[in-house]
Amino acid sequence: MDSREDDGGEPLSRMAEWRDVTPLPQDDGPNPVVPIAYKEEFRETMDYFRAIYKADERSPRALRLTRRAIHLNPGNYTVWHFRRLVLEALNADLDEELDFLQRIANSNSKNYQLWHHRRWVVERLGANARAKELNLIKKILSIDAKNYHAWSHRQWVLQALGGWEDELDYCQQLLEEDIFNNSAWNQPCHEFRDSVVALRTSDTDPLGPDLSMAICDILEHVDSLRASYWIWRKNKLSVAAV
Amino acid sequence: MATREWNPLDFDIGEEEDEEGTPSPSSISPPLQYFDRDRHVAFLEMMYNLMPHHYQSQEINRLTLAFFTISGLHLLRALDRVDKDRVADWVLSFQAHPRSRAELKIGQFYGFHGSRTSQFPPDENGVSARNAGHLASTYCALAILKTVGFNLLTIDKESILISLRNLQQPDGSFMPVDVGAETDLRFVYCAAAICFMLEDWSGMDREKAKEYILKCQSYDGGFGLMPGLESHGGGTYCAVASLRLMGYIEDDLLSKTVTSSIINVPLLLDWCMQRQAIDGGFQGRANKPSDTCYAFWIGAVLRILGGYKFIDKIALHRFLLTCQSEFGGFSKYPRDLPDIYHAYYGYTAFSLLEEPGLNPLCAELGMTDLTAIGII
Repeated sequence: MDSREDDGGEPLSRMAEWRDVTPLPQDDGPNPVVPIAYKEEFRETMDYFRAIYKADERSPRALRLTRRAIHLNPGNYTVWHFRRLVLEALNADLDEELDFLQRIANSNSKNYQLWHHRRWVVERLGANARAKELNLIKKILSIDAKNYHAWSHRQWVLQALGGWEDELDYCQQLLEEDIFNNSAWNQPCHEFRDSVVALRTSDTDPLGPDLSMAICDILEHVDSLRASYWIWRKNKLSVAAV
Repeated sequence: MATREWNPLDFDIGEEEDEEGTPSPSSISPPLQYFDRDRHVAFLEMMYNLMPHHYQSQEINRLTLAFFTISGLHLLRALDRVDKDRVADWVLSFQAHPRSRAELKIGQFYGFHGSRTSQFPPDENGVSARNAGHLASTYCALAILKTVGFNLLTIDKESILISLRNLQQPDGSFMPVDVGAETDLRFVYCAAAICFMLEDWSGMDREKAKEYILKCQSYDGGFGLMPGLESHGGGTYCAVASLRLMGYIEDDLLSKTVTSSIINVPLLLDWCMQRQAIDGGFQGRANKPSDTCYAFWIGAVLRILGGYKFIDKIALHRFLLTCQSEFGGFSKYPRDLPDIYHAYYGYTAFSLLEEPGLNPLCAELGMTDLTAIGII
């Protein structure tokens, strides 16, 4: 992740810009459990973050500090939340924020906080952001076609901003690349889903009990991992048929 | 350890399932043919005393790390390794306290902080800046307190329960923190578990939560983390365990002759059974590689339904041993480096398999039966 653009990774205590701030160490009490052997850079960054956060300083340097803290612990929802407060206070350019998120996306593609933050940005950019956002998600899916967060975000964008008309083609393309991509099968493209639901909603076994029992017989031998399940299923069917 | 695994406890671990199971050459010796309890106890003891710097990216989840460690030791019948009073005092120090009862309804959640990131000592007026109680941390805090035998009746449970309502959304789902975050089944589960442990359902609208859960059942029988999302082992666990805790489904459903249930049980059972792969392990979604933790997430669902007896236990046991680390703990994939999250769910999986020397598991709470019932 490239967080060094602004401060070069120098210790904060040696930077003139931070001279007026007293870092605030954590108070873990007299007998902490599962203490972590923090590296110096981490400890220092979070001590400065605590100071800025407590003082509620919403400044450009605070924004840069949140980026540094995000790099070190990208799951820290408190840091992300404070970043949003600072972005609002500074009336920051949210297109730039989307660019920042895209740059760190690959090393944070499974990070709930990043995706939530992204959603927050897109909500503020509105319908204009739709095409760009759908494309950004495609890029992530091109690296990992089953990324659950990416699919979840994609569904949200489509529901909030529209665009379903092109989605079936996209899923078809993904399935041509990998027919076993269950995420692509799941995408609620309605024509496909409606027919699957119709197949599944009957109370009785759609194949008829005799054929079902024969299938369970076969599976008991062919799918030996689940043999006991197929036996139970077959016996349950014969009870139901009476 | 930059990227995120799914987890109701919002835990952030190593790479998720995109590498298709490529093992790292961390161990050249063949896997042990047995569950090595002593090695695991040593692993957890080390974590209890000091976690390696790699876990600093998990800073925000200190309480979750503590839960895995302490509950893990209890599963291994090694709780004597911890100083229970010290643990209770430390956990209690994370609780957020309102200044007055009036504060409970204006929007904030007075549960437990997950870490010291945003926890500050009160100023001269007794005001604590920045309450950041989190649902998952609260679940972990209560679970740890119960594990070490602390009497939950003595904590300020009213503040937790009254303010818990602030986190429930109109659609029945829960947000984990009051300042805004994603809402999904993970946090419905945390809320249900919190109310269950505090023995008080005034903290949530169960009916609305149930409605949300039912909307998450997918066309193939499993549950996604949110309505419309792909069926997922973790989502399915959160759904079924929550329904069980809230009292909407009975124990051991399969052995009863109930003809109807609020969820499609046959389809759910099918989905769960299909998740055991040819290597014996469990996958989290169709056509994904087997991963240690799903032996718990999906195994526990089967246990709740009464269908655990159908799985191939020998094959699962064999798979899990390939994920057992020579350093103690378990890894996500075979022959990889261990982490505390997969270690914990490896232990719960072995408990479900009734491994000798382990305490039995309460499937719907994800901790020992003894803790769930309240026996020290």
